[in-house]
Amino acid sequence: MNAYTQVLFKNRRSNETVLLPEYEKSGGYQGLRAAMKMTPAEVCELIKGSGLRGRGGAGFPTGIKWSFFPADQPGDKYLVCNGDEMEPGTYKDRQLLLADPHQLIEGMAIASYALQTQIGYIFLRYAYEDCFQRVERAIEEAVEVGYLGKNILGSGFDVELHVHGSAGRYILGEETSQLNGLEGRRPNPRSKPPFPAQRGLFGRPTNVNNVETLATVPHILTHGTAWFQNLALNPESAGTKLFGLSGHLNRPECFELPLGITLREVVEDFGGGVRGGKKFKACLPGGASTPYLTADHLDVMMDFNPLEEVESRLGTAGVTVFDEDTCMVAVTRNLNQFFARESCGWCTPCRDGLATISWLLDRIEFGQATNDDLAMLKDQVKNIKGRSFCALAEGAMGPVEALLRLFEDEIKDHIRKGCCPFASN
Amino acid sequence: MVNLTIDGKQVTVSKAATIYEAAKEAGVHIPVLCYAKKLLPYGACRVCLVEVEQMKGRLIPSCTTPVSEGMVVITTSDEIKKVRKTVMEFLLVNHVLDCPVCDKGGECDLQDLTYELGATSNRFEGEKFDLPTDEVNPLIERNMNRCVLCGKCVRVCDEIVGYGSYSFINRGFETKIATAYDRGLDCEFCGQCLSMCPVGALLPRPFKFKARPWQLKEVDSVCGYCGNGCTVTLGVKDHKVETIRFNDKIGVNDGNLCVRGRFGYSYVNHEDRLTKPLVRKNGELVEADWDEALQAVADGLSKAQQGQGVGILSGARLTNEELYLLKQVAKVVGTENLDHSGGECYKGVTEGLKGALGVAASTATFPQIEKTNVILAIRSDFYETHPVVGMVVNQAIRRNGAKLAIVADKKGKLDKLPGAKTLLSKPGLELDVLNAMARLLLDEGLAQTEGIEGLEDLKTALADFEPSQVAERTGVDLETLQATARQLAGAENSAILMAYGLPYQGLNKELATAAANLALLVGIPGREGSGLYLCGEKSNSQGAIDLGILPQNAGKGAQQMLDAAAEGKLDGLYVVAEDPLSSYPDRDKVAKAFDKVPFLVVQDLFLSPTAEQADVVLPAASFAEKDGTFTNAERRIQRVRPGIPSPGEARTDGAIFSALANKLGSTVTFTGPAAIFAEIGKDTKAYAEFNFNEIGPQGVVWGGEVLQPVCKKVVAVSGGSSVKGDFQLVTGSALYHSGTVSTKAKGPMAVLSEPYLELSREDAKALSVVDGDLVKVAGNGTELKLKVKVGNRLPKGVVFAPYHFAEANVNRLYKGEPVIAVTVSK
Ligand SMILES: Cc1cc2nc3c(=O)[nH]c(=O)nc-3n(C[C@H](O)[C@H](O)[C@H](O)COP(=O)(O)O)c2cc1C
Ligand code: SF4
Ligand code: SF4
Ligand code: SF4
Ligand code: SF4
Ligand code: FES
Repeated sequence: MNAYTQVLFKNRRSNETVLLPEYEKSGGYQGLRAAMKMTPAEVCELIKGSGLRGRGGAGFPTGIKWSFFPADQPGDKYLVCNGDEMEPGTYKDRQLLLADPHQLIEGMAIASYALQTQIGYIFLRYAYEDCFQRVERAIEEAVEVGYLGKNILGSGFDVELHVHGSAGRYILGEETSQLNGLEGRRPNPRSKPPFPAQRGLFGRPTNVNNVETLATVPHILTHGTAWFQNLALNPESAGTKLFGLSGHLNRPECFELPLGITLREVVEDFGGGVRGGKKFKACLPGGASTPYLTADHLDVMMDFNPLEEVESRLGTAGVTVFDEDTCMVAVTRNLNQFFARESCGWCTPCRDGLATISWLLDRIEFGQATNDDLAMLKDQVKNIKGRSFCALAEGAMGPVEALLRLFEDEIKDHIRKGCCPFASN
Repeated sequence: MVNLTIDGKQVTVSKAATIYEAAKEAGVHIPVLCYAKKLLPYGACRVCLVEVEQMKGRLIPSCTTPVSEGMVVITTSDEIKKVRKTVMEFLLVNHVLDCPVCDKGGECDLQDLTYELGATSNRFEGEKFDLPTDEVNPLIERNMNRCVLCGKCVRVCDEIVGYGSYSFINRGFETKIATAYDRGLDCEFCGQCLSMCPVGALLPRPFKFKARPWQLKEVDSVCGYCGNGCTVTLGVKDHKVETIRFNDKIGVNDGNLCVRGRFGYSYVNHEDRLTKPLVRKNGELVEADWDEALQAVADGLSKAQQGQGVGILSGARLTNEELYLLKQVAKVVGTENLDHSGGECYKGVTEGLKGALGVAASTATFPQIEKTNVILAIRSDFYETHPVVGMVVNQAIRRNGAKLAIVADKKGKLDKLPGAKTLLSKPGLELDVLNAMARLLLDEGLAQTEGIEGLEDLKTALADFEPSQVAERTGVDLETLQATARQLAGAENSAILMAYGLPYQGLNKELATAAANLALLVGIPGREGSGLYLCGEKSNSQGAIDLGILPQNAGKGAQQMLDAAAEGKLDGLYVVAEDPLSSYPDRDKVAKAFDKVPFLVVQDLFLSPTAEQADVVLPAASFAEKDGTFTNAERRIQRVRPGIPSPGEARTDGAIFSALANKLGSTVTFTGPAAIFAEIGKDTKAYAEFNFNEIGPQGVVWGGEVLQPVCKKVVAVSGGSSVKGDFQLVTGSALYHSGTVSTKAKGPMAVLSEPYLELSREDAKALSVVDGDLVKVAGNGTELKLKVKVGNRLPKGVVFAPYHFAEANVNRLYKGEPVIAVTVSK
């Protein structure tokens, strides 16, 4: 039923994982072969020209990130694959790794070559034991036939990959915290500059990319940049994207869809419409830290720039839908509790500020708030956004800000009625 | 240099500066909370946010953001003020605000910033923290309800102390600072964390409810313990030292101290301090007045000098001025038998360095260690004897990537620093390891030989020190030995460190000579940024050498005096600031000497075991009661200032010497330390260029930051020897003590109160003993009982006993050997 070209999910079958022979049959490791015939700099150039943007949430152009990397610097350098995926509403990397993990291995081999790193770590979410096993098996298979290990494909280049299971905290998804975590330290973020490309893991140049980003790379090498750009419906964008749907939908599943598809198509055609025939009220377009979209946005393209134009973000493209009976104050309160709990506790605005936001949202939700509390909530967003050490608190403000922007009437309703207007539901 | 604008002011600063530092230099005040000058950039509290025109859209932490050319910074605007105020509100939501009963009140950053930023009321409500306080340890009170999570304690303990006691635990709002497993603090108790804490979350327990900060008179002086020479600022109330104040503005230690400096001051207030002279009458020591006591001393010494002579034994904790006067006393008495610190341990300086380099002191200053690339420490106890230099070593490693190797017979704190390599040698053979390194440098053509005398002799003497053979017989790993020697040779700058002191009686001259040989072969002496450091155990060990408290002409040294006395060939002994019965090797010999000598005078703070034997006891003053100078182990002459009066009738050693000299017929009088200091310059030329009253807050370094050697002569030294036996006993310093006086100080005693015998886990298992069990230790014809302490510092077969505790009699076991064979049994 998905008529769009399938790239990452081409071999996906439910409850099965693709092993090496099938992956090779479907064109696997051709991208690596192609890369090894190029110079590392040419591979970087190619990725830069493809328009690939990071799939981990921030959407930074991958080729540009790679071109900043000091590939020529002698000594140890590292590649880290970010598979922490703890953002609520996000589960696409898991689907990818369960279905066809060799894409990541191949992508990491290519990235290692392009960036001239010797060791790669795959950092996996604590709960992803099933992925862990599959990725380990894929690594073993790849080592066996010489796609990984010493002198890959007779090129003289060595690639060593390790899988690391997270100790299990949301902040470990932030790349500099992840490096601390990999080093066995407490996962506080590190201040930038210096960026990981200058001083990363164990103080050495390190490149961090998301699972999906790296898994996309081989396909670009195999099929070229023009092909990749044509995959997107938005002519200014490039590639497909994994959308993990959740919430009040008839079909809350993960789909590979072209960038630039409208929210309406995602919700109605793929998500099967809102559960129980109810109306669409709002959604998080890309995980818990992205500002809400409403029914007014159903015809917006699900893509990096178009979503920024409507004051939201594509994030991880984990779309969580809320029906008309949902109290958005309650949703926001719930999300904020998550961020407040997951704050690493390092900086004051996040550690103590998110707690005050929680306190204010509690008061509103339970009907104890006054208009002063609403004013204070508006003020607090300003005191936290752009004031914190890392992007966690910034992300936490996404839904709160959108609540104030899009659902102020609903807040006022709570205040006026002295209780949650949705409470009877 | 970089040009930028801060609040409209043009500022030019180094390009390494942060915005905060640039503002400070320009006299623009930016409030800070988590920033600390000596710690790495952090940026967590967000109090210091500023606007930067080139980085619009968010506020920038000034304490972590480096300056750049053309930056336009605004440090106050309505928005900034509001954000700062909100940060304070956040911090205050759950803070207990128990200022009336908090010792930090009056110098608390939270109080001050709340006031400054106008966060006088709070819009938020929240529960106040209700966490238990850490009452387990005796020295540092931890009340996490007052914590503002600035992380300074975590950082200082890691970045500077290298211990790593604390970490943040939990997440979000429940974040707090905790120790491993959230248990009570158990660490080296250096107190760096409490000195950095901006609030009352970490406080010195001995100071609890003693005074409000503004009631304290602050007196800058120098720590009376080790040769590090840290500045200690005495906090005095009602003529009593109540605490040591944090002071990172002056001196060599950047505000860092060790447990002794921070918590060891209390011996000056000890109730057992001697307050009146004592004279022995009918076999009993009875109180006497000064005139009587001094007359008795003058008469006794004169008589003894007319007989078989007098010997003078001094400690190395007197000021330079006092040591000068002591020398005058010796002259007036007419004796050439003068010595200090047991007469042996300092020979590495006076003979070893003197022979090789023609100078008798460390060749460079401590701050240079931080910039070195390779550091070689001889004897693992270096950190234990000189903790604050150890912290500099830690910073050299962590901040500048220096490589550290340690040649020692046991492991210590230094061995735990990142990347440290231990060349663990059989006791007594460290010398051979140093010789092997010298041999390797010569064999591999890595040595710098230009202008160096004695090379041929050295080469011949090194025939027996082929590295692989030395590795074999010392047990040191050959590759590490080779790598260390090569690293030293290849380093742009390097440092060689060695501590000396009373517990190290053997091989000092030899070890120092071998160290000097190595230093010469890699070009250390005289090179800017490199140094050979020989660091004395006591606060004025270097001063005692500079002043020449050494045998005069044909006079006897300490051991010879004791031998002579024991044989009935010396008629008087004058022991000053030293307790030889407790701290000199071969206690039985010392006891015999004191027993036999017809006239014994002891001048001390306490009625020490030695003083109990005396015919006359003179009560002396502590460092906190003195005016003068100490010279630390890097040749820095610093001012010691009196903070309190002496108890009872106790007098400064200087005053006692003056009075005694007059009693003995001298007519010379000095008007005070400045005048004496001027006199010192006449004999000790290196001191002549300085004026006492012009010694500034950083002190003055004689010979300059880099002391140029007078000669460069490598000197052959033969190897050491190991001993055979079930166990090999080595002695040394424990981290919490220095000499014997710290055993009178509550702080150090609260952490380590008893003597012990440390053994490896393996040996403890074989003997089936655990911590606290008593074992018999026998050797050299003596048997003692000591409590067991099991540790992981020692190789199998090696046992260690610290020498500080008089009651342990450990010095009956060793008689001046670097290592002795003992048996250990249940
Ligand atoms: C709080 C926080 C959590 C994050 N979690 C993840 C994550 O789970 N997975 C991920 O790929 N990126 C995560 N990121 C983004 C990473 O910091 C980083 O930008 C990303 O891994 C870069 O990969 P990409 O360029 O391939 O997208 C997170 C960022 C923040 C601030
Ligand atoms: S914003 Fe601050 S407290 Fe929050 S996760 Fe980042 S560093 Fe930690
Ligand atoms: S007293 Fe010293 S060692 Fe102990 S926690 Fe504080 S800084 Fe660390
Ligand atoms: S205990 Fe003190 S130094 Fe440590 S984090 Fe808390 S406030 Fe800062
Ligand atoms: S004992 Fe030494 S290291 Fe410790 S504070 Fe005193 S001078 Fe400094
Ligand atoms: S002082 Fe700059 S963030 Fe704390």
